[in-house]
Amino acid sequence: MVSSRSNRDAGVAEAQALLKMGNSRLVSLFGSIDDFGATFVHYLVDVDSREYRHFCEQVGHAIPSAVSITPAAAWYERELHDLYGVAIEGHPNLQPLVFHEDWPDHLHPRLKGTVRGEYRFLKVQGEGVCEVPVGPVHAGIIEPGHFRFSVVGDTVLHLELRHFYTHKGIEARFEGIDVSNGVMLAESVSGDNCFAHAVAYSQAVENAFGLSVPPRGRALRLIGLELERMLAHIADVGALCGDVAFVVPAAYTARLKESLLLASASLVGTRYWRSLCRPGGMVRNITDEKLRELGTRVAETATEFAELAKMVLETPSVLNRFESTGVLKREVARALGVVGPAARASGLRLDVRRDHPYGRYRTLALHVPHFNSGDVLGRARIRIEEVSVSAHLIADAIREIPSGAIAAAVPWQSSAQGFSAVESPRGELLYFLHIREGRIQRCHIKSPSFQNWPALPMSMPGNIIADFPLINKSFNLSYSGCDR
Amino acid sequence: MIFDVAARSLAGKQVLIPVEELLGNCSGSRMPEVDPAFLNFESARDAVDSCPTSALRFETQENGRYLVLDYGDCTGCGNCINAGHGALRPAARLVPCGVARPALARRWNVDTGEELAPEIAEADRAAEQIRALLGRALNIRQVDAGSCNGCEAEISALTNPYYDLERFGIHFVASPKHADMLLVTGPVTRNMEGALRRTYEAMPSPGLVIAAGTCGCSGGIFAGSYAVAGSVSQVIPVDSYIPGCPPTPAMLLTGILQSLNRMTRKGGLGGAKE
Repeated sequence: MVSSRSNRDAGVAEAQALLKMGNSRLVSLFGSIDDFGATFVHYLVDVDSREYRHFCEQVGHAIPSAVSITPAAAWYERELHDLYGVAIEGHPNLQPLVFHEDWPDHLHPRLKGTVRGEYRFLKVQGEGVCEVPVGPVHAGIIEPGHFRFSVVGDTVLHLELRHFYTHKGIEARFEGIDVSNGVMLAESVSGDNCFAHAVAYSQAVENAFGLSVPPRGRALRLIGLELERMLAHIADVGALCGDVAFVVPAAYTARLKESLLLASASLVGTRYWRSLCRPGGMVRNITDEKLRELGTRVAETATEFAELAKMVLETPSVLNRFESTGVLKREVARALGVVGPAARASGLRLDVRRDHPYGRYRTLALHVPHFNSGDVLGRARIRIEEVSVSAHLIADAIREIPSGAIAAAVPWQSSAQGFSAVESPRGELLYFLHIREGRIQRCHIKSPSFQNWPALPMSMPGNIIADFPLINKSFNLSYSGCDR
Repeated sequence: MIFDVAARSLAGKQVLIPVEELLGNCSGSRMPEVDPAFLNFESARDAVDSCPTSALRFETQENGRYLVLDYGDCTGCGNCINAGHGALRPAARLVPCGVARPALARRWNVDTGEELAPEIAEADRAAEQIRALLGRALNIRQVDAGSCNGCEAEISALTNPYYDLERFGIHFVASPKHADMLLVTGPVTRNMEGALRRTYEAMPSPGLVIAAGTCGCSGGIFAGSYAVAGSVSQVIPVDSYIPGCPPTPAMLLTGILQSLNRMTRKGGLGGAKE
């Protein structure tokens, strides 16, 4: 259910009034500029976990900050300030988010003004306090980002993030390209969740044009989305074991993940299901026979993983490290608008598949596991349970696979506006599109990682710095997805 | 518990892929190649028209018209395979990996279907010296200079039990100061440009640099963005290139070994099995 309010005078005030009510959640906040150079601010708000509402207002100079209403607005407003030059009144910390010190002064993506890149970290003072800077280049094969710890001995007092090292200007990259070419860009926003991005983008086009994907196309998408979730969760559980030096399950899960990737490569022709989804449906069919073969491999992997995960969770040395580590409290998670597995491990039962169902999920009764502990163990258990749920969803979809077309015709040259969300492995992922005569005017991506990164530092104080890799991994957020 | 996990793992099947099955294999990469049997001007033109990047283009030489496929620009979107009337098909083997930038492009004569022999870049003397020094051990420092993390997922897979990179004496290390090779991914973003330069400077000499992934090779679909400084070679010197969006583990392995000229011992790229 989607409703849209485009109020040129009071959209911001209306959105903020709605956010003051307890049953609403800030989904996204972003800017756009029209052909005449007028700047607009957009709010997307989720009401009652049932309805997305869109508010839009043309802004002159400043808008009031929403941070005192919902801290979830803090990063969005900083990004809005950086990329659209919108002044934010009353923001507690309006430091640059996107631009760094080395950014060329004259090179603003949309405005004529200069770029401000200087940044000051919070200085924690007191006896024995020292700072530990980490990154942007890290020790493992991971993405770049900077973490600044203030510690006393091993204990972390404060953690501050400095990200956007992988900012590629992707939203601006969408502007002016053909709708049909957008999938390729969407797949490269966060490569490990490429299929979720491709589906979210395609659904936004379909919602804008009022298209309906044929049943077989919907089923194939569900299989791809749930397979991607299985891959991500299996790898995450393995990486958590690796971070507590339990290398056997780490290697074991790496084998399970690779077996599914190889199955996709041989049966579908692509390891991560890239180049398979398009607006209207799917690019090419997968035969029933190949789907059954894939289903067999998925079922085998899920069974093996469940047995392995049970053994891992019964190992005292694992529990000792996972339990009560990196606790994200429910109130904090709610205040920061946290989504995905991290929300469900902190007692917030949010899942786009159930709350705002799309495609084949509209016809399903979905089991959404949740835990209240908010610690590394909770986030591990969420993933373990969800692997099993995903495997069942895939099995059902394959058993009941509809025949017929896989894609609907798309009016490629039309104009429209629309948005759509999916539950990616990291949580709520939303694309907002404004299309004119078949070309994209504005594309905004609400990324679950952008939403969740500010929650990570809130789970660090009181933990030892040596547990940071474990806690970070338990959130497993995408840097590229956040930075875009 | 802990021993059950170990026992279960040991009882599992052996999955290591033999090296001869890996080298030159690009299954699942979505990279296209030309099927000469279906190549003609019309099919080539439709394929070129469907290419959203500049990977496919025509080139006129003295002895005819050629269809150029530059893997350094190819994202594997599959448009050309759908539009090319059979002239392009998914490549299973022999996509160039671990070669100089010009050698990433292959050329087919549009009228005869014959492939032009690839340009062999003359090996750099410094690179040869490094290869001689490195012998059988190689330490790699991976640097993400702005990638979408698709390349990182595949590079991480190199250490899984199917590929087991360590069997070749190749290790990923935590610091550039321990590295013989930088494996760099991504279009280099403005925010990562300085960090990439500093990482390169921290690597002891002699050292090799590989640019991996289509973004690393050419900037890919992000070339020209306000937030992108350029491809890897526009920021630091690059010795060889591995295309792919993302390159599969087999392509990465082929590229790394090819960069070290180790594959000649097995008869060269794709020659091991024949």
